Amino acid sequence: MEVDLKGSETTTPGRKSQSAVTGSARKVKDNAADWHNLILKWDRLNDEGSTMANKIVNLGFNKSSQKEMQVMMEGQDTSASSNSENAFENSRELEEECDKLLRVVDKMTRIVSKMEKLVSSEKGIIDLETFQYGTGGRQTPLFQTWPTSQFADVSSELYEAYKQELTLKRAILQELAHTTNPDLSMVYLSCWLYQPYTDDRAKLLLEGLLLETGHRPI
Amino acid sequence: MSKSVLFSVNQTLKKCFQSLENNQKVWNSVLSECKPLMVSLGNLEEQLRAFQKVQIANTPLHTFPDLHQRLHFKLIQAVDIVLGKLTDKMCSLQSVRDAISNQVSGAFQLYEQNIGSLDLATCTQRSPVAPSIADMLEWLQDAERYYRQQFLRRKNLLLTLRADDLSLLETAPKRWESLETPSGEESISESPLAAITDVSLSG
Repeated sequence: MEVDLKGSETTTPGRKSQSAVTGSARKVKDNAADWHNLILKWDRLNDEGSTMANKIVNLGFNKSSQKEMQVMMEGQDTSASSNSENAFENSRELEEECDKLLRVVDKMTRIVSKMEKLVSSEKGIIDLETFQYGTGGRQTPLFQTWPTSQFADVSSELYEAYKQELTLKRAILQELAHTTNPDLSMVYLSCWLYQPYTDDRAKLLLEGLLLETGHRPI
Repeated sequence: MSKSVLFSVNQTLKKCFQSLENNQKVWNSVLSECKPLMVSLGNLEEQLRAFQKVQIANTPLHTFPDLHQRLHFKLIQAVDIVLGKLTDKMCSLQSVRDAISNQVSGAFQLYEQNIGSLDLATCTQRSPVAPSIADMLEWLQDAERYYRQQFLRRKNLLLTLRADDLSLLETAPKRWESLETPSGEESISESPLAAITDVSLSG
């Protein structure tokens, strides 16, 4: 399991303190690192996908403007063959970009399913604690102040946000290449890039989680 | 009239032009950093406009809850971030302007302090290799005024921008670009550069 906080300004302060953590706390801490890594990966994929989505929209516009050109040039058959060649080239490129975007969405799907596993793991920890300490749970918090249930709450809230975002991305993927309305294409691109369902609250939740589990220095 | 006074005035003017040259470089590099920000401002305006034209309820996205408000918020937030970055850049421009103003007023102060020993003939005397003190002071004043006005115009433009006023946002990149007056820049570049080489020759 990768617990290294790659790409973050503040990495885990030394392995010694980490290895001292065991049991549920170990698991919760690892999960927090996983959240961080998964979201980092998601953001990278989002940027990659954004470039592809832009290309798809531009290619789509080329296609429709070429159709118009062909209509305009009716009667002038001389250039028709090169035009259709162009259109063929265009469609091939469009298909390629759509395939690439599909692969990005597939990778995002895998990320979200990993997130789901994290949520069920947090729930498992709560069940374990109920078994160990009764319905009241443990008396002292695992780390600083959060009760164990809060880790599960944060996890499921983050998961819901990314799940919704993924659904939106799937819808964009389906519609993007078939939209002739340039304004709607633009809205799809904005939706892809700005991710309306992962808001500042999600960022705050993640930072809180990292702070509580000691990945970020207090 | 002592030669030493003339020498120190010339030295100060020389330094002034040298620092002006450096400040001009800083100014231009800050301006070039503003360009991509202005481009993103224009992009965001396009996105907001498209967003306003589209009724999400009539699109395949209609099943998504609160999408309209959420996307609107995100777009406005993005505009705010870009405007914030531009405001930071304005601070850099302001410090360049202040540096130039200080240098120039220092030069004028020195001139005024020694006005008794610098008569009109000395101040206006030119040679084939050096401009007169009067010329150089005038150029410095021109440069100082140019940066002062540029700063105010740019700052004024930014202050009028609002994330919810699309027509202002739409024209902002063009208006920002139109503030660049190549003739004004050139007139400053040419005279100080000439002056630096000339003064160094005569000094």
